[in-house]
Amino acid sequence: MEFFNFLLILWAGWLIWRRPEKERLAFRLLVASCLLMALLFLIGTHTSLVPGVNL
Amino acid sequence: MTTLSETRLRTLLAWVVIVLTAGPVGGAVWLGVVYGESPCILCWAQRTSMVLIGLVTLFVLRYGPRPRYLGMVVLLGAWGVFMSLRHSALHLARDVGQGFAAPYLGVHTYAWAWFIHWVVLGVVGVLLLLLREEPAGLGPREPGRVGRFAIVFFLLVAAANALQAFVTTGPPPFIGQSDPLRFSLNPRHWVWMNHEEIEGRISLRGSWTIPRPDPANITADPDPSHGPLANPPVLAVQGWERIGPALDGRLTDLALGSPSPAGRGGQGVRALAVTDDFRVYVLDSALSQVQHFVQLDHQFSVDLTPLAGAAFVGDTLAVLSTNKSYVLLRPEANVDAGREWRYFRETSSDITELRRSRFATVRARQMYVLSLAYDAAADELITVSVPSPRHRRLVVSRFARSDMTLASEFLPRLGPGLVAGTDRSLAEYVVTGAVVVDGRLYAISAAYSTLLVIDLATKSVTAAFAVAGLEQPVGIAARGAQLLVAQADGRIAVIERP
Repeated sequence: MEFFNFLLILWAGWLIWRRPEKERLAFRLLVASCLLMALLFLIGTHTSLVPGVNL
Repeated sequence: MTTLSETRLRTLLAWVVIVLTAGPVGGAVWLGVVYGESPCILCWAQRTSMVLIGLVTLFVLRYGPRPRYLGMVVLLGAWGVFMSLRHSALHLARDVGQGFAAPYLGVHTYAWAWFIHWVVLGVVGVLLLLLREEPAGLGPREPGRVGRFAIVFFLLVAAANALQAFVTTGPPPFIGQSDPLRFSLNPRHWVWMNHEEIEGRISLRGSWTIPRPDPANITADPDPSHGPLANPPVLAVQGWERIGPALDGRLTDLALGSPSPAGRGGQGVRALAVTDDFRVYVLDSALSQVQHFVQLDHQFSVDLTPLAGAAFVGDTLAVLSTNKSYVLLRPEANVDAGREWRYFRETSSDITELRRSRFATVRARQMYVLSLAYDAAADELITVSVPSPRHRRLVVSRFARSDMTLASEFLPRLGPGLVAGTDRSLAEYVVTGAVVVDGRLYAISAAYSTLLVIDLATKSVTAAFAVAGLEQPVGIAARGAQLLVAQADGRIAVIERP
């Protein structure tokens, strides 16, 4: 999924560079990538969501 | 104040993208290719977050500093700081040099991610402070020469990351690993998985989810016949005594000690009682009169949870809270009232605080305690852990009086003639009081009302006795050939010391 996320980022970056008029699509790709990144982190930490220290 | 035009802002942001992608993001790829270092699933999320910050910066470069882009950078920076703190917490408290994976310029990557996301938030704040208010432009801007280079460079580094991600994590639905293998371009060494990271139940605090015990109200089965040891012999209660004066709070431990040396005040000091209201009482040997008392300020300095343990260490009074924080006190004839005001909410004005700190354990880490004993022969203080749903171990921890640091720990084994039932163990006992006599640790358990006799030399339980009729035992003290088992209600069961 990390690989897929970088494809989304590359797509958004390419739109900014070569198709700047497609700003809305590029921004949606950015949001989707952020959500996927956060989801993957939460999957990796789901057995202890907050830091394992004295809070 | 000098302000920043949008044109200069774009040039500055282009350099930010170049530095960010060439440094932490590109450097991470270089570490993988040259040194074979593969990111774990958490590292990947943090690296992706940095790449996304670079991407948002390209948006600003191309379309201007619109609020939604700035908002996105702030969100990414804040989330990145959280991710880095969560990740770093796995390693920050370990011993010197014990990081995870190789350091980068002397600092491990998870700590770098923390620093970088924090810097991003700071940079956004400075740029917003300096940015000149100009009418919002329409449509995309020309990025300029440096800007174009930044975009192309960003895409190249992102592509290199995509390649590394494909090799180490695979295509969907495979995801990153918690403990990844060494990076290799040889497909024979590629391992893709998606089951490891989704196993285990969702939890907010994981192994730190430990319910705090109430030392004056332990909810445990008191029936000795239900305990892990089959048919322990019964020790009859010979009689009942009671602490004469009314104490504030419920009793949580009792200790007996020798009189103080002459000249140190508190003549005839014999008994030490603590309550769940952070009160410490020194009583006479007949338990009929309070000689000294204090109420500790539990929120000052070291955090004290309810007091659960008490012991005499010579003429020093040692009291312990359930979280293994301790306070050392001493009766003194002349105390500095101004100094003691900082430590005590109430005081009889003849006790001084010597030290307040915490015991650190290894095997009993993340476990609370409900007892404190003093082994005069070894000059060591002793605690016994109580089990929780997360951690089920009975750990005896010994601390050197000289530096109040862990000296040794052990999990007692069963001595000859003692047999635990099938799938039963000593970890089921909830030791609420302990005392050392003649090299043996007498530990009273509120669960199954059982007295355990632990030989400190052989680290084994040599005997166990059922003490019928106890209700909420909270402490135990030795008086000659007798043991006094204190209950939360202030009553004291007298039994013969086996």
